[in-house]
Amino acid sequence: MALEIVDLEVGYSREVPILRGVNLCARDGLVTVVIGPNGAGKSTLLRAIYGYLRPSRGDILHEGRSIRGRTPHQMLDEGIALLLQGRSIFPAMTVEENLELGGWTIRRDRARLRQAFEEIYARFPVLKERRHDPAGALSGGQQRMLELARITMTRPRTLLLDEPSVGLMPKLVDEVYEEIAKLKEERFTILMVDQNVKKAIEIADYVYVLNLGENSHHGPVESFRDRLEDIVREWL
Amino acid sequence: MDWSILLDPLILSELVFQGLVRGSMYALMGIGLSLIFGILGIVNFAHGEQFMIGTYCMYFVAAVLGLPFIAGILFAGVVLFFVGMAIERGLVEPLRRRAGRDWLVDSFVLTIGLMVVLQNLAQIVFGTRRRGVTTLLPGSFEIAGITITYERLAIFLTALAVVGLLFLFIRFTALGKAIRATAQHAEAAQTLGIDIARIYTIGFGLGAALAGIAGALLISIFPAFPTVGYQPVLKSFAVVIIGGLGNIPGAIAAGYLLGVVEAYAIFLLSAGWQAVLTPLLIVLVLIFRPQGLFTVQGERP
Amino acid sequence: MNRALATAARPVWTPMRLFKVLALLLLLVLVPPFADNPYLTTIFISAVMFGLFGAIYDLMIGYCGLINFGYAGFIAAGAYASALAAFHYGISPWLGLLIGGAAAALLGLFTGLITLRLRGLYLGLTTWFVAEALRFTISNADSYTRGVRGLAVDPFPDLFGISFARGNLLTYYYLLLVLGALIMLAMYLLVRSKAGLAFKAIREDELAAQSLAVDTTRYKLLNFTVASFLTGVLGAYYAHYLGILTPTPEEFGVPRTVEILTIAYVGGRGSLWGALFAAFLLIGFQEYFRELEAWRLVLYGLLLIGIMLFAPKGLAGLRKHFW
Repeated sequence: MALEIVDLEVGYSREVPILRGVNLCARDGLVTVVIGPNGAGKSTLLRAIYGYLRPSRGDILHEGRSIRGRTPHQMLDEGIALLLQGRSIFPAMTVEENLELGGWTIRRDRARLRQAFEEIYARFPVLKERRHDPAGALSGGQQRMLELARITMTRPRTLLLDEPSVGLMPKLVDEVYEEIAKLKEERFTILMVDQNVKKAIEIADYVYVLNLGENSHHGPVESFRDRLEDIVREWL
Repeated sequence: MDWSILLDPLILSELVFQGLVRGSMYALMGIGLSLIFGILGIVNFAHGEQFMIGTYCMYFVAAVLGLPFIAGILFAGVVLFFVGMAIERGLVEPLRRRAGRDWLVDSFVLTIGLMVVLQNLAQIVFGTRRRGVTTLLPGSFEIAGITITYERLAIFLTALAVVGLLFLFIRFTALGKAIRATAQHAEAAQTLGIDIARIYTIGFGLGAALAGIAGALLISIFPAFPTVGYQPVLKSFAVVIIGGLGNIPGAIAAGYLLGVVEAYAIFLLSAGWQAVLTPLLIVLVLIFRPQGLFTVQGERP
Repeated sequence: MNRALATAARPVWTPMRLFKVLALLLLLVLVPPFADNPYLTTIFISAVMFGLFGAIYDLMIGYCGLINFGYAGFIAAGAYASALAAFHYGISPWLGLLIGGAAAALLGLFTGLITLRLRGLYLGLTTWFVAEALRFTISNADSYTRGVRGLAVDPFPDLFGISFARGNLLTYYYLLLVLGALIMLAMYLLVRSKAGLAFKAIREDELAAQSLAVDTTRYKLLNFTVASFLTGVLGAYYAHYLGILTPTPEEFGVPRTVEILTIAYVGGRGSLWGALFAAFLLIGFQEYFRELEAWRLVLYGLLLIGIMLFAPKGLAGLRKHFW
């Protein structure tokens, strides 16, 4: 089990928890998708796993070790990366500098860094082409590619993706999911939180539904295909 | 008054050089403020007191120990770097853990409190006596008819060197890149493994060091006394407003611009009215170009 | 907005609370005449005056999140406007109270118009520059203002047969109490009105207030101009009470602003009355430790830092324990 969430309670204030005892597993090399209506606590879940919020109860296990209480900047060393919601490039720095910062935790290992650059540039030729341009000058889709490339520089084993397609033009949305599908082929463990239920289900292996900070349904994706419309209708 | 002397090339170049010397200080101070604002989002009102500590450092090294002025610059820079880091760890960091939406005002008020404490502690420890060093470097030379003292040249060149080194550091070292990344998107920097709490501490230290170096450099004009930081801090806020808050190249340009404008003002206006000029200039900038003179459209304020 | 509504509906005037308020007011009115000690009366005058400045400051920072870092300059505007009107044109200081108010209000309106459409610290920095420009102008235009040599200001003329000669400290004290009561009442009514709700909404979350179609710039301008007006009135009183004006930093510069800001913060943001308690505490303390001038200011600074770090609600945060 790559990532295991046990009875997690998290809130911005003690009295009103956003997550009220959530249980969840992300299996090795599979795509686990968390869906739910607005305010279900999906993004809070990822932020809590990554150490931005302190859980008041429960535990977070990565590869069997508890990572509860770690700070966000220690997560890459644990083999977990997070794709933030919305734009997160460093716009005034070049594409290359952005990638270099993606390799911050391995910056002293020159050979490994060089290899990471080669791999990334092979996977995203457009980033190599524009490596000396400021990242802010890239198109919206290219910026998302850069963000994905940046968090995979150190080859983390588990990826947390927070609404990867939100705010993108419809044409680019497909590109992003194609890219995530490629990451799945490369056997990354992926835990994705998504508003775009239809697209997410297409690449999911396992689905969790959250509602009002609690588990609602879960199961392998096959069991969801027919029920999906009913579930989404419940939210409205 | 005979206005034609303004066109006299000798006076013109003399004033420009004077302006560049003053501007060196404004630029250093302004970069320090901008750095701290850009990285931590703090408008640091205690910046003038960091300047003040720098003047005392220089006095100690140059007048008490009798060492060369470059030692004083280094000493001031190092002392203020650690003072700045201590301030960040001891005061700013606890506030950050508490404050939320009012961060900008709350942190500003915190630095006001700090200014009052440092200023009056200096008064208790050192008294109000002015401790100056009349000349750091004696001698002068003449070039194309204008006289340039070695000291002024040294101030100008040292400031240029400090700005240059800072540029290289921020631009090309790993730590410099992490600092820029944190200023542009702190949360993203954190997800990539950068310990932003450490970057904040170093950033405040760097900003304070620049103020300290400015104070040390200018000791012949601003002798060490507890409230010496007031004019410099007023001017450095003017510089960051003209240059655009958080915009470092803007602060450099605005620093030298303000220095030259003031050199002319001193020549043309009576002593008292120069003091009115800078605040008035800033009010005008705020009316017509609140984002600063050197801000490119679309950059953050 | 919901939270703003909840806090605005707060005060409940139980008989006990009313009794406590009346008892305190009675102390304010009765202690100076019964003590019959001129020194004590001057301290009461300072404390009430700085308490009022602090309360006005709180109207801006505590109710609307507006920081005026050139506050002492606004006091100077009111003080000099009234003093100069009397000095050059023989205008009665009684009218001067309004002239002072109007001058400061104009200054507030002007500064507000430039900066209040911008967020962040533009207001704080601009007010600081405006105030310094004003202070330097006062000290340089010395043929008109007498600059640093000091402008002698006449006392208030007699009114209804009451003598306002300079030595009549008690008369000045009661005049201040009357002015203070009017100022507090005006502010109280303002924060209880619809505008007060808008202020709170702006302070809580300006963007959210905007999205609820609150014209935030207009309300901020209203708050700032009213506060400036009240400051100017009190500044005019200050001029005629003090008798001499000099544009030094201690009188009308950053140190003065810091004193008032500290009183407002120690009193507790968003409490109005807290500033009066804070002023009595701080001014009492400062009189008691007169010889420790620099240490007194160190204490002010430490208090400010302490409030920011440990007691963001100031004295008002303690209220539930004894109020």
